[in-house]
Amino acid sequence: MMTWLLRFFLVAAVIVAVAFAAFLFVPVQRTPAQTALAIDYAVPEGAGEYAMRLADCSACHTAENGKPFAGGRAIISPVGTIYSSNITPDVATGIGAYTLDDFRAALYDGVRPDGTHIYPAMPYENYRKISEQDIRALYQYFHDQVQPVTVERRESDLAFPFNLAWALRAWKWVALGDPGFSASSADPVQARGEYIVEGPGHCGACHTPRNALMAEAALTGADAKFLSGGLIAGWTAPPLRGEGSAVAGWSPDDIKLILASGRNAHAAINGEMQLVVRDSTQHMTDDDLTAIAAYLGTLNQGAPTRDEEAPTETETLLISADPSMDLGPRLYLDNCNACHFATGRGADEVFPELDGSSLVTAESPTGLISMILHGAALPSTAERPARLRMPDFGYRLSDDEVATLATFLRQAWTNKADLVSASAVADLRKAAQAD
Amino acid sequence: MARTDPKKDVVIIGLGWTGAILGMELAQEGLEILALERGPDRETVPDFQYPKVIDELKYGIRLGFMQKPRNSTLTIRRTLTEEAQPYRRLGSFLPGDGVGGAGIHWNGQTWRPMQIELRLKSYVEETFGPATIPDGMTIQDWGVSYDELEPYFDRFEYMAGISGKAGNIKGEIQEGGNPFESPRSREYPMPPMKQGVDAQMFAKAASAMGLHPFPRPAANASVAYTNEYGMQLGPCNYCGFCERYGCINYSKSSPQTCILDALRRMPNFSYKVNSEVLKIDLAEDGKTATGVTYFDAAAQEEVFQPADLVIVAAYALHNVHLMLLSGIGEPWDPAQQTGTTGKNYAYQMNGSTRMFFKDVAFNPFAGAGANGISIDDYAISRIDFAKEGFIGGSYITAGISNGQPIRGIALPEGTPSWGAGWKQGIGDWYGHSMSIGSHGSNMAYRDCYLDLDPTYKDRHGRALMRMTFNWKPNDIKMTQFMRARIEPIAEAMQPDSWQSSYKSDGAQYDVRPYQTTHNVGGAIMGEDPKTSALNRYLQVWGQHNVFVMGASAFPQNIQTNPTGTVGALAYWAAEAIRKDYLPNPRPLM
Amino acid sequence: MPPFQIYTTRRSFLAGTAAGAALSVMAFRARAQAAQEVPLAEYQPEYLSAIEYAFVMAATARLIPSDGDGPGALETRVPVFIDRELAGDFGTAADLYMEGPFNPEADPTLGTQSPLTPAGIYREGIAAFDKWCLDTHGSGFADLDAARQDASLTSLSDDEVPLDPTLREFWALLLQNAKEGYFSDPQYGGNAGMEAWVYIGFPGARANFYEWVGKDEAYPLGPVDIAGERA
Repeated sequence: MMTWLLRFFLVAAVIVAVAFAAFLFVPVQRTPAQTALAIDYAVPEGAGEYAMRLADCSACHTAENGKPFAGGRAIISPVGTIYSSNITPDVATGIGAYTLDDFRAALYDGVRPDGTHIYPAMPYENYRKISEQDIRALYQYFHDQVQPVTVERRESDLAFPFNLAWALRAWKWVALGDPGFSASSADPVQARGEYIVEGPGHCGACHTPRNALMAEAALTGADAKFLSGGLIAGWTAPPLRGEGSAVAGWSPDDIKLILASGRNAHAAINGEMQLVVRDSTQHMTDDDLTAIAAYLGTLNQGAPTRDEEAPTETETLLISADPSMDLGPRLYLDNCNACHFATGRGADEVFPELDGSSLVTAESPTGLISMILHGAALPSTAERPARLRMPDFGYRLSDDEVATLATFLRQAWTNKADLVSASAVADLRKAAQAD
Repeated sequence: MARTDPKKDVVIIGLGWTGAILGMELAQEGLEILALERGPDRETVPDFQYPKVIDELKYGIRLGFMQKPRNSTLTIRRTLTEEAQPYRRLGSFLPGDGVGGAGIHWNGQTWRPMQIELRLKSYVEETFGPATIPDGMTIQDWGVSYDELEPYFDRFEYMAGISGKAGNIKGEIQEGGNPFESPRSREYPMPPMKQGVDAQMFAKAASAMGLHPFPRPAANASVAYTNEYGMQLGPCNYCGFCERYGCINYSKSSPQTCILDALRRMPNFSYKVNSEVLKIDLAEDGKTATGVTYFDAAAQEEVFQPADLVIVAAYALHNVHLMLLSGIGEPWDPAQQTGTTGKNYAYQMNGSTRMFFKDVAFNPFAGAGANGISIDDYAISRIDFAKEGFIGGSYITAGISNGQPIRGIALPEGTPSWGAGWKQGIGDWYGHSMSIGSHGSNMAYRDCYLDLDPTYKDRHGRALMRMTFNWKPNDIKMTQFMRARIEPIAEAMQPDSWQSSYKSDGAQYDVRPYQTTHNVGGAIMGEDPKTSALNRYLQVWGQHNVFVMGASAFPQNIQTNPTGTVGALAYWAAEAIRKDYLPNPRPLM
Repeated sequence: MPPFQIYTTRRSFLAGTAAGAALSVMAFRARAQAAQEVPLAEYQPEYLSAIEYAFVMAATARLIPSDGDGPGALETRVPVFIDRELAGDFGTAADLYMEGPFNPEADPTLGTQSPLTPAGIYREGIAAFDKWCLDTHGSGFADLDAARQDASLTSLSDDEVPLDPTLREFWALLLQNAKEGYFSDPQYGGNAGMEAWVYIGFPGARANFYEWVGKDEAYPLGPVDIAGERA
């Protein structure tokens, strides 16, 4: 009996050891091109820079006040700090020596030419869907059109065991989906939008929830979890479909305008997404914005529209200027009403709606509290050049007052969301001061 | 000279309304442009941030956004024999300062002139005879007609975003608008503002008397608006802190809300702040400007900035001061009646009747800068000058813009100005008074002009400008005429009491109380280089690469607020520069 | 003011600290409680001497008396406001053109021509006026009874107190500053508790009334000041 067990365990151990060794040392299979292009395929002029805009490479690979694409931007993750790499064509410290296959493997598989793994702060889960045409275009852009910069990659600073290469390989084994993009619609406009959203736009990297392994819960629109809302830097990245969809009831023009300019008749882009508007979406062609709007529309069909005309109880109370009103609405009149008005509907493209706002009613109140404490600013875009700003109110309101005001907003007009605690405000204020 | 900077195609002096308009227009030609602003930079947030800017003491009383006399002022006298004294503290007029200039702290009342105002002299001579013009009155024609300028009024109004109701579209009178206005090509870009209790009462009374009330045109947005540059206005919330304050809400038309962020996107445009232009440098033969000299406050040194084209876009008074200091044009000599620079300085003749209503709650703090109801039944184009014995006219308005308490709570005549009686009075009457005001023309006179002061100097050692100005019988007669028309309206409204304040015979210009910041003239446009400083394109007669914007170009003052006309002239001159001057730089006339 | 800096955040991944284009990370400025303010009589002036401060207290108490409806200058701490203004830019004529030659006897309608700053006008004006009170009524202003104080102020306002031309503005400044102290935002030391605003029905720094334009109805809600205090 014993010997049989012993033999069993020995064999199992050997198998595990071999598998482990293989896992460690056998190079990762690199995903090949998903489309065969003609031998003499030439990247169209401008396609490289445009693909870079679609994929928003500078968001991570250009540090604040750093040279373009020279890396070094710190990306804070729950497992430590990752520093982005130099993707200029410098041979020694950048990707100057990368072949096309090397480049593709970085985007599709998250591997470097030496076999080491790239941390999934790089959204190759999504970039796996980038077309071969765009891969070629990006490769050409980063080889021929970007200035080479010599700067060593800064070592990332991850806690054990996340700094173990084989752990990443295991993670990828589980997390990565099939490579390549296949449209779920025959309509070429919707298909284009779906491509951008699932692929280079990597919208799911923020707007899709993460599972226990911190991988995106879904990678294509067929799965209802895709774009059903995520968390980025403590702020809710709102759902773009289903319950609580931030774009429910929006017209295609509404979606296009907010991506082009950061603002539309309903909302203003805030938080991290502003950088996306600034560096990526405002540069997209009108056709591509139309396509994205068309695709997102398919995820939001049948969403109910609001009755804009009927005055709510909140509106009536605010207009009354009744001295006996609660502190919440009183704070609203003393701080917010000047721009957002008693209807809570602000004004088209200038003052965002608070009634029905995905920021106001988000599961995480971090975004709302941040707005009240710090204000916000829209970037200047070609479509709408004004850098509209909301002033800060943190100096003027105590933690209790911010909590009372935020709670009021989350329950005013047609909004229904949880209350906000003063301690949540205090925590955020402390964290911001530590920044 | 401490340093000379690399040449620019264009230098713009001042970054207010006209500086921003010319900057935008010329940037679209691909020219390398540098604008020099002597004041600081200003942005809605943080400079007009809510609620910090809602500070009556700092901005309404201590005039936080205005020019500081310590940095820039002038001397004032009433007659040719009086000794001019420095305007040491701001009072009668409040010049702006900083990026945006007066465009950030105006009320936003935006009008067009009457057609005849642009050819006033000819109109008076043709209609009433040359003898109607009294001795010493030096009114002139502008050299450009209203019809020529109409498309540029339209352009400015749509760029700035004006709320109003048209009264005359291409000759067709429109219900609800001003039936006497000069014809316009289309409706206003935004609907009219909401009207306060006072304006509604006035409208009712005026209509009952057969007059024609209409909403005052406002550069306060009545709805959200996007202009030709993609710049945006938000709807006004009637905060009651308009004039003297930057707008908290992106609701007041200003260079900041209408132009500057779009202009900043032009890579060939740049600007410097805290850079006061000291003079415009002229070539040896005096036929062109070679650039400007300015004081770079950051580097603490004088800089010569060479340029091919100089746009003088500072405030009207400062434009003239620069021309006098730079030797551009001959200074006006009132005795010899020769020269052109400094000639025909004019102001605005205003007056009002105040009424008290114990039982009406006016809520004066719920006001915008430019809402209100006006009548133009006594406009300059509707007056028989021969019969009435004066040349002039005015529009009349009821429109409460604010309820700020320090600036003065109106009290019935006889109420003490301090003590128990005063305290009782403010409790009784705050929020229970309104006024009907006349905003009228002011003619030009031989002895109302600008030149350099012989005694006083500014912080750079340059001579201050000297203003010689006083009220004249002609305009006093006009304001008394308006009084006689307004008081019956006031009485018809049956107030508990009313009292009037209009200039009467012998009135002397008093520089202490605020009156208006409509200082016009001194670098007037016209058809003849012997009698004007600029030609009809605002080009200096003597130096063809210098163009001077602003109300300094008005040969006499129109009955309405100047900004609409200033904006139209800026677009008109910009087009002449782009289409006619740049391809072939030369005198255009 | 320098062009505003927007903090771009680190591209945080999955979680992390508060992001967003923050404009300010300022701490909440705890508002001064009325109870924490020094009683008027114990206030230590920054500019005025003890005697001058006593004069200002007495004078403003007549300009805006305590009795009757509404607060007086003392309840609203107007003397504190005046002292702070005189110690600051207003007092030092920071904005005014103060180059000579000065002609203080020029026609008053040509505006102030005094070589003295407002702080200087107060200093010499109080001294001169107080001396006149002593000569005319038998004691310094602060020690006169209310009726004589009122009579003295009336004489001052009617130009019956012989003052050096450089002090011509004294009365106008005193009255203007008193009203400023009564009605300005409480951050400047006066209008304590916004009582003056409450008295007349002025909403302070609320600055939004879209729905109230054109309503002939008394506006019921009390004021808010710039610091966020409510009354």
